[in-house]
Amino acid sequence: MTQDPLYREIILDNWQNPQNFGVVKNPDIDVRQVNTTCGDKIRLTGKIENGKLVQVMFTGDGCAISKASSSLFTEQLKNMPLSKVRKLTKEDVLKNLSVSISPARHNCALLCFRALQKGLK
Amino acid sequence: MKTNKKDFPIFKNQPGLVYLDSAATTQKPKIVIDAVNDFYLRYNSNVHRGVYDLSFQATEIYEGARKRIADFINASDSSEVLFTGNTTEAINLVAYGYARENLKKGDIVVLSEMEHHSNIVPWIRLKDEIGIKLFYLPIDKDFRLDYKALLRANLNLKKIKIISLAHASNVLGTINPLEEIITTFKKKCVNAKFVVDAAQSVAHVKVDVQKLGCDFLAFSAHKMYGPSGVGVLWVKKDLLDVLTPLFSGGGMIETVTKDKATFADAPEKFEAGTGRMEAVAGFGAAVDYINSIGFKTISKFDQELTKYGLEMFKKIKGVELYGSKNSKDRLPIFAFNIKGIHPHDVSEILNRKQICVRAGHHCAQVLLTTLRTSSTLRASLSIYNSTEDIDQLIKGIEEAKKVFKIQ
Repeated sequence: MTQDPLYREIILDNWQNPQNFGVVKNPDIDVRQVNTTCGDKIRLTGKIENGKLVQVMFTGDGCAISKASSSLFTEQLKNMPLSKVRKLTKEDVLKNLSVSISPARHNCALLCFRALQKGLK
Repeated sequence: MKTNKKDFPIFKNQPGLVYLDSAATTQKPKIVIDAVNDFYLRYNSNVHRGVYDLSFQATEIYEGARKRIADFINASDSSEVLFTGNTTEAINLVAYGYARENLKKGDIVVLSEMEHHSNIVPWIRLKDEIGIKLFYLPIDKDFRLDYKALLRANLNLKKIKIISLAHASNVLGTINPLEEIITTFKKKCVNAKFVVDAAQSVAHVKVDVQKLGCDFLAFSAHKMYGPSGVGVLWVKKDLLDVLTPLFSGGGMIETVTKDKATFADAPEKFEAGTGRMEAVAGFGAAVDYINSIGFKTISKFDQELTKYGLEMFKKIKGVELYGSKNSKDRLPIFAFNIKGIHPHDVSEILNRKQICVRAGHHCAQVLLTTLRTSSTLRASLSIYNSTEDIDQLIKGIEEAKKVFKIQ
């Protein structure tokens, strides 16, 4: 079967079996974000030690793009120094997805990133 | 099946377009586009201002449209038709121009669970501001309004000051029997004023304000083949003096001195500033367009699409339809979910075949909470659609199921 250009294996895998799905115990970051276009919600929790994001997890309801993106993004964040986390841009997040996301779906792909930005404020 | 597609130039310019989002906004027939164009090409000048011929002609177009809109909803007089920006603005005018002045703490506003946010959020703001109470009529198992719940709720019916309901649901497609509801409630809730949100119904069923027996009725041009940016609040004549304008300034006054201003009569009183003149010209043409087809034909067409859609949805596996399975008193609006796939992902796949559906909460989060979902897909059909469009949709859904490996 030919692969779908957007819903490739990497997206489908991370959608069906998301990594870092859950809630961190005693979190230092605990933030909720809503995608206002569709009402999807995410909760992002994280633990900070020695200036590093040592643990980060997410829960919530979302489409394949937002779930896969959150899965891959939280994986990318693990053990990242906060100084580096703060410098992440939305382009970094979209690039990390390794599939091309149309502007209409940016809100889905960036839900987790926006939650993190809110959490770091 | 006879469709009116040929009247709508967008389908020539976007061949292959399967437009199933008419509950969000309808496409525009050539006669409406021409009326907007014509206003700029031939008549552009400010209405109600100049004594020169051109301004007089522009005013004739503007007020002519108001008159046709008044006739269209069977208003007793043109002055009852107030132009607003859209339905939301019209309902805000009721909330802030009427209710805030006339309701007090403890008074009750009755809404329903199937309301659009435009008929919920202004009332929530009033609740927070002046302490009114909100009561929501529930929906029953067939996705119809269980309006008699109001009489079982043990409320002080004298405290009910506003009953504000959608004529048709933008998610379920349910057409509410408002004539019957208003007649019933009028006897019990003697102090209530009745507000109707006709945004979804006005292009599909005959809206007759006198037959409905309401006090206010709101709708938008863009959901009835007209331009965006203009809507109507119809106000029953005896309330025009009680209603206060939201905005003040040019065009709405009688006389102004340094300390005092007196207002013009309705409708000008409620239309401060220059309006959307070209859009009103197009609004009039939209009314002409609907009249040229007639509600008898529209209803028959809607029924055909609704029946066919319900039949087709029955055939696909793993689909949950949110709406009555009975086509009676129901518009061709199909809200649904495919088990295991998020609406956004389905709509992405459909988009590749130029199938436009809405995915999200449809500005009806209260209803979606009742339906126990945070978002759905929605296909909403209109006069330019056909059963082939439904076939395309079903094909697209099967395609999405394949991509996501859903059996």
